[in-house]
Amino acid sequence: GQSYPGKPKIIRCHSLEKETFSCWWKPGSDGGLPTNYTLFYSKDSEEKIYECPDYQTSGPNSCYFDKNHTNPRTTYNITITATNDIGSNSSDPQYVDVTSIVRPDAPTNLSLETQASANKMYLWVKWSPPPLDDGSSNSHVYHYELRLKHEQKEEWETISVGVQTQYKVIRLQAGMKYIVQVRCMLDVGEWSEWSSERCIQIPNGESPPEKPTIIKCRSPEKETFTCWWKPGSDGGHPTNYTLLYSKEGEEQVYECPDYRTAGPNSCYFDKKHTSFWTIYNITVRATNEMGSNVSDPHYVDVTYIVQPDPPVNVTLELKKPINRKPYLVLTWSPPPLADVRSGWLTLEYELRLKPEEGEEWETIFVGQQTQYKMFSLNPGKKYIVQIHCKPDHHGSWSEWSSEKYIQIPTDFRVKDMVVWIVVGVLSSLICLIMSWTMVLKGYRMIAVILPPVPGPKIKGIDTHLLETGKSEELLSALGCHGFPPTSDCEELLIEYLEVEDSEDQQLVPSHDNGHPTKNAKMIAKETDSDSGRGSCDSPSLLSEKCRECRTLPPILQTPDVRDVQENKGGKRSWETQCVASEEKILLFNSESTKSSTWPAAQLPNNQPPMFAYHSTTDAQKLTLSTTNVNIAPVLVGNEEKRQSQYPVTETVHNDMEKQREMENLHSKTDQTTVQVKQKRSNDNSPFLHPKLMDYVEVHKVRQDEPAVLLKHKENSGKTEKYTVPGTSKEYTKVSTVMDHNILVLMPDSCIQHASVSQEPAMEMSPNLQQGQAEKNMSYCLTAPSECKRETGGSEYLDPSSFMPSFK
Amino acid sequence: CHTSGMLTPNGKEYAQKIPREELTHLILKLLQAWKEPLSHFNQHHQELPDDSLSKAKQISNMVHELKTGVEKVTEKMQSMGIISNSLNGVASSEAAGLSLGNEADMMSDSDFIHCFRRDSNKVQSYLKILKCRIMPENSC
Repeated sequence: GQSYPGKPKIIRCHSLEKETFSCWWKPGSDGGLPTNYTLFYSKDSEEKIYECPDYQTSGPNSCYFDKNHTNPRTTYNITITATNDIGSNSSDPQYVDVTSIVRPDAPTNLSLETQASANKMYLWVKWSPPPLDDGSSNSHVYHYELRLKHEQKEEWETISVGVQTQYKVIRLQAGMKYIVQVRCMLDVGEWSEWSSERCIQIPNGESPPEKPTIIKCRSPEKETFTCWWKPGSDGGHPTNYTLLYSKEGEEQVYECPDYRTAGPNSCYFDKKHTSFWTIYNITVRATNEMGSNVSDPHYVDVTYIVQPDPPVNVTLELKKPINRKPYLVLTWSPPPLADVRSGWLTLEYELRLKPEEGEEWETIFVGQQTQYKMFSLNPGKKYIVQIHCKPDHHGSWSEWSSEKYIQIPTDFRVKDMVVWIVVGVLSSLICLIMSWTMVLKGYRMIAVILPPVPGPKIKGIDTHLLETGKSEELLSALGCHGFPPTSDCEELLIEYLEVEDSEDQQLVPSHDNGHPTKNAKMIAKETDSDSGRGSCDSPSLLSEKCRECRTLPPILQTPDVRDVQENKGGKRSWETQCVASEEKILLFNSESTKSSTWPAAQLPNNQPPMFAYHSTTDAQKLTLSTTNVNIAPVLVGNEEKRQSQYPVTETVHNDMEKQREMENLHSKTDQTTVQVKQKRSNDNSPFLHPKLMDYVEVHKVRQDEPAVLLKHKENSGKTEKYTVPGTSKEYTKVSTVMDHNILVLMPDSCIQHASVSQEPAMEMSPNLQQGQAEKNMSYCLTAPSECKRETGGSEYLDPSSFMPSFK
Repeated sequence: CHTSGMLTPNGKEYAQKIPREELTHLILKLLQAWKEPLSHFNQHHQELPDDSLSKAKQISNMVHELKTGVEKVTEKMQSMGIISNSLNGVASSEAAGLSLGNEADMMSDSDFIHCFRRDSNKVQSYLKILKCRIMPENSC
């Protein structure tokens, strides 16, 4: 039947060396089922229970406690529990104190040897300490005990040996056979088992010696030789050894001529007794009182047993040839005894070297020369070198010469070091200088490297306006749409600035009723441009008048203007002033078509050039309406609003089919004159009605000068003039292009100058009548420098500068 | 060895003492004494493996060349007066050697090899001694 297992029993525990211990148990019955055994233990009186750490090492049914689990000062309470499927059973607890269970294994390697000296026989007993479980060498100190007895007797004689692992037994009976055993113990615990037995026969005092053996014969210089032998046991009596030899082909037996020179158990053959190319037959005889014994014969031909001494006088020399790398020369001398001079013995040499810390030797065969050049050693390292030699024919290698140390001088590298030092010093110097400079002039350096972004400097901009104004107003104020004429200026609201020569009114195409076509033409040409044409509006306006009108608010924004005007004291005044000037008229033709420019002449109404002025709102409208427009610079002139006759914007819309015309600014006199034509859709009144000239100053002139001087002139011939770029003085020329958007118009007097500077920086539309167009651009004006430019910068805004932004 | 009957110096001192002509004579005699046995050996030992056979052939060639060389040197020495012309010169040694060589049939192979090794060592040693005696400055 099956039942719970029987109670296991702990057989024993023991420790080999008090650092580890093992326990073995005997299982009880297993109850018919597979049973598991677990060992539990606790230490001293602690409660915690541990399980056996190692069930394997000591075999089945055992538990091994290794160093980590063994504490000699604690008492272990150990129980074994047998468990099977049904139940379990525990053994009785066993209290184990490690120190009390220490019991080493028996010593090993027991050896016996007899020794005879002076008629007495001694017995040498030697052994080894027991090995440890893990195979490591046993460093514990054991106490040993030895016992011996005669083979037939019963009683043992026990001798305490101490901690030695050998012992000399003195009192021995000759001719008897002894049995010896030994055991050991640690400082705590029990004695080990006795080792296995060893037997030895003590020889009788009377036995002949054992046979000696000849070890070797050698000749150091091929002129003499020596033989050595090893004696056997001497049989208890002092033994004599004699060496006998005979030569090949001779019967004569000789005895060794010299037993001393070469030491004990040797025979030295001097030159006289050495023959070459003959075979010696050598034997050694051991003789004592009991008899003698002869060794086996040894045949030797001296020619082949040459083994020289090592070379001597090993010297090193460092050679430093010019222009070549230094090298070491190693020289040595053959051993002193070897007669190399006569050629009798020819030696070959071999050297070996290794770095001091290295492991392997590098062996180099040198041949028969006695020097060697070494090129490939590492500077600064230490090497060990040795040499040995051998006869060039049959024979053996000598011993290695004593070690010679080579220290490779590091001055090989002096040159390199110097270079590196110089480089290092120079670079650190440079770094220092640079950092110093940075510190001192950090700012400036930074300024040089990263120049500050310049802020916009625009003369004539009313910052106030800018701050407060709305974009549209700004745009409108700029008015000078298309001033920097761009290729797609069409978008820009092109406002023509008709610059009319005071005498001439050619500029004003529309003015010319009689030449509508022309105008149209002109316009047409100018269609796409808002280049410059319209842009002129604002700046051109200003001239002296504007100066006076300086107070005028920034043109840009009509409301502002208005305000300004108010500020200044009434638009009226302004206007009047400006108007009054007459010279400044900004002709403003806006074109309806593509650009929002006001077609100057285009106006369906054929209206005379109208002033392009409009209220801000108008401006806005204008801008808005035109498809791609740039707002015409604007004009201001809101105040004229009340004069409804300037629905410029509307007209513009309607009319636009053409680009605006650029009015050339005619610079009259010293001022750019821009005739502002007032567009009036429904008003046919001469545009130049002064009253009607509520031009707005569209332009902000960048420069001080009033950009545009309008001369109001009615003229019909203007148109032609139009076409002629720059030819007539009537046109104001652009004096310079400023800030790439602003054309500075030059007053008549300045025309020449101005004309030059046409390049409309910006996209002036070339459509404009060619050069004129550009010039037109130029009309935007910024009054030429010479021209008066009093108008404060703030008042004038160069629309051109704004122009691109509109796009 | 068939050359054992030759009276040759068996030590350094003896080799240095005997006159050069005699030494030269001995060398030539020895070399000559081996000419025949070597060729005999080669002929009768075709059963040896090929590399051994070729080695044996090579050795006998070397001996022959060595002999020729020594003869030339001897004649040169004689002409230069380094050694006298006594002792019948080259021819006598040759004859003596030949006579010795003809008796070399009896040797066993191991004896043959043993004797040859010894005699070649002898020749080498004598030649070196001779060299240093005649031209001491040359690495002696």
